[in-house]
Amino acid sequence: MTLVQDLRSALPDVAVRDGLEVATGLRGGAEPELVVSPSSTSEVVEVCAWAGRQGLGVLPVGRGAHVDPVRDGRFIVLETSGLTGIEEYEAADMTITARAGTSFGVVDDALAEHGQWAPFDPPSVRTRSIGGFISAAAHGPLWAGYGALKNHVLGATLVTGDGRILRLGGKVVKNVAGYDLLRPVVGGRGRLGIVTSVCLRAFPKPHHERVLVLSDRSVPELLDAGVALGTAPILPVSIVVSGPLTELDGRSALVVRLHGAESTVDADQATLESHIRAPLDRVHEADSLLDEIRDRGGVESRCVEVSVLPSRLRDVVSAMRNVGFASSVVDSYAGRIRIGSNSLEREAVDALRGAAEGAGGALRVVRWAGDDRPAGTPQREAEAGLSERLESIFDPDGVLWPVRP
Amino acid sequence: MTQTLVPTVADRLRAIVGSDHVITQPDRLVAYESDGLTAYRVAPRAVVLPETTEQVSKVLEVLHGEGIDVIPRGAGTGLSGGALPSSDGVIVGTARMNRILSIDDQNRLATVQPGVINARLTKATEPYGLYYAPDPASQSACTLGGNVAENSGGPHCLKYGVTSRYVTGLTVVMADGEVVRFGGAGLEAAAGLDLVGLFVGSEGCFGIATEIEVRLLPKAEGVRTLLGLFDTMAAAGHAVTDIISSGLMPAAVEIVDHATIVAVEASVFAAGYPTDAGAALVIEFDGTEAGLDDDANRAEQCCLAAGAIEVRRAASEEERIGLWKGRKKAFGAMGRIAPDLLVQDATVPRTRLPEVLARITEIGEEYGLNIANVFHAGDGNLHPNILFDRQNQDELERVERASREIMTLCVSVGGTITGEHGVGIDKRGYMPLVHNEVELEMLRRARWVFDPGGNLNPGKVVQ
Ligand SMILES: Cc1cc2nc3c(=O)[nH]c(=O)nc-3n(C[C@H](O)[C@H](O)[C@H](O)COP(=O)(O)OP(=O)(O)OC[C@H]3O[C@@H](n4cnc5c(N)ncnc54)[C@H](O)[C@@H]3O)c2cc1C
Repeated sequence: MTLVQDLRSALPDVAVRDGLEVATGLRGGAEPELVVSPSSTSEVVEVCAWAGRQGLGVLPVGRGAHVDPVRDGRFIVLETSGLTGIEEYEAADMTITARAGTSFGVVDDALAEHGQWAPFDPPSVRTRSIGGFISAAAHGPLWAGYGALKNHVLGATLVTGDGRILRLGGKVVKNVAGYDLLRPVVGGRGRLGIVTSVCLRAFPKPHHERVLVLSDRSVPELLDAGVALGTAPILPVSIVVSGPLTELDGRSALVVRLHGAESTVDADQATLESHIRAPLDRVHEADSLLDEIRDRGGVESRCVEVSVLPSRLRDVVSAMRNVGFASSVVDSYAGRIRIGSNSLEREAVDALRGAAEGAGGALRVVRWAGDDRPAGTPQREAEAGLSERLESIFDPDGVLWPVRP
Repeated sequence: MTQTLVPTVADRLRAIVGSDHVITQPDRLVAYESDGLTAYRVAPRAVVLPETTEQVSKVLEVLHGEGIDVIPRGAGTGLSGGALPSSDGVIVGTARMNRILSIDDQNRLATVQPGVINARLTKATEPYGLYYAPDPASQSACTLGGNVAENSGGPHCLKYGVTSRYVTGLTVVMADGEVVRFGGAGLEAAAGLDLVGLFVGSEGCFGIATEIEVRLLPKAEGVRTLLGLFDTMAAAGHAVTDIISSGLMPAAVEIVDHATIVAVEASVFAAGYPTDAGAALVIEFDGTEAGLDDDANRAEQCCLAAGAIEVRRAASEEERIGLWKGRKKAFGAMGRIAPDLLVQDATVPRTRLPEVLARITEIGEEYGLNIANVFHAGDGNLHPNILFDRQNQDELERVERASREIMTLCVSVGGTITGEHGVGIDKRGYMPLVHNEVELEMLRRARWVFDPGGNLNPGKVVQ
């Protein structure tokens, strides 16, 4: 009996197909034995148990664009595309629960009907599945004004590697009933379990948004201005410095977003301008510009991310000569640089990692097509040891996280 | 019965921290018998007060080697019995670890020892135009270490979020004395699971935090404070929902109920709240001066539309302190009308506040108990305070039965058994209300990940 036949007879209700049509992110790596699309948490449990019996790894995949290729090992892909839909939206409580395969765009549209939103802006956020985006702790520069995604994931349902169902967190904003096991799941990249549903905190949509730009300056000057804005007496909701932007006729720019009442943003703009002693240009129709910045590095076949204290950003950016600033975007308040390019070279990334680490920061390889994948900054040894122990309680048989790059 | 410490062990501890900083005399141990949850008292075997990470490490190594349990303790203001000693355990207190190690205004970060008092950090960062956002009502006494262990909140966490949002890195001494670093600002891109996030809220069971790196925020330019007075709690509850769902972003929305108003006004803390009001709502906005009056006007309209009998607005810092007084001095005032006060803590979805509060009043009546509510309404984080006398055994039992009923109620409407005070020993018995056995077992295993021997704060959170 083939594996597909075995699974079909063991779990007749679960959608399954062979692994030939691999998700884009997996290309270039080992191929899965098969692809399953369970449609409920209990089916996910059954699939994990079946895979465990077969000695197969389980790789959860949302849209498939943001997973890494698997180096080797026998595994199956568990697609969350069968787990879709909003389970509960309490607009007055500003909480929304959706199944893991739901794309963020669907959640966002539902919130918009009630004048609400979830202020998350990683690349191509609208098409990402909510489970995948939680597992990657994907973030964008709105972090400055609203806090990181991990602060706004209120709860999740998780299936552990050995098929236990855990309801983590809840649907209230404050909750300290026991150790916060939800936190390592957010950003856990599927190592601790398969997220089947997520409860997010929503926010009222800002009454007014103002987008301000400083361009016609050299990249180091823009960067200095961006870092300086991070010490201004008011905090914009995001501050980024981007390489050449089509929406700005190919100019690099510092782009700042302000939210609030019109009178507030007027005053805030004046405060920022006096802080950096330079006028900022107002962009009136800013949606495409903001989308371009948000999606930078999101589609290229190679992407790395650097984190460093904002005061050390200059040191790292000046070491980016071989990488080029053209394909980069810097969140200067968080101290994060994202570089996406199809022609990124391993040696250049190694050098950049050296510069980042030399400045007290770190580098992560977000995506890498091809087999000369550079290494990112590892976790400290003691942390890595604890992480492994943590994995062992969620996934005692090592079913999840098949051998990765 | 508390066991005394073997002299040789006490001597080894003295050699590490200095003889003045190991307390074994029974009359001095009395001060450590409980935390803010005074219904329980146990004397520890000893109290050790180290000053540095290295000393904490050596102390834990000795205690671990001897198989002696360790109870970490900050200021002892915790309200769930998290720092309650066990009779065979030793308290490791952070009172002497009170140095602010660095303030980095460029990157808006501060690194502190765990015994630094919350309000002191804000004071120290003021000259840079910065402050530390989480502001528990106990901030003039509680420590950052305690805040980290409990993932504490405070009135202004409605807008700014709780402790976990601000902790970026930790140095932790593990049960066996190993010193470990978790996270750190600038290192977010290093691979790995979020151990900082997991450690925050671990209630002293995973390790002792000895250095804490936190993010600071710029101080708001202006502030507007309103006091809404209502005939009924239900009307105040509706005003809260209306304010928040209207798109306003208040920094704080706090409710003080009738029983609390009466207690405050009868005390030395009298704040001038009318004693016939059913509830008072303290609403605060902060941020850029220019937009604040608009926000305050809109909130006032929400209050009036929900039936407020009066809305007061502070015109000066002095008046602002006055409006807050009834909220901030509530615990002190209640402490004076009953020998003991059980400060309960639970969270419900905000829209369920009116019905839950009505039911809590009924529960108080059914058990013949005086329950006063003062709480973080914007977050749906309730604090029903039960006044009692722990010498009265019958009353104590009624307090316990009423507490369980309140917890069951909060969980039944989609809430949880603690929003910010933690489980400690007080809520341990309620954990099955929110977690099934599989989940409880997972919490036990999580403790094992950090402390396989189970020496750190045993008996707390889960058994
Ligand atoms: C009047 C009053 C008002 C309060 N208001 C609020 C409020 O608004 N919001 C709120 O959240 N809480 C509030 N609390 C509760 C309490 O102040 C907080 O839980 C506070 O964080 C406890 O800090 P502490 O230093 O007193 O810790 P302790 O009570 O000494 O300890 C609390 C827990 O932390 C552990 N611990 C202490 N230090 C460390 C360390 N360095 N490493 C690891 N574990 C450690 C202990 O073992 C214990 O489990 C209030 C308490 C009172 C009395």
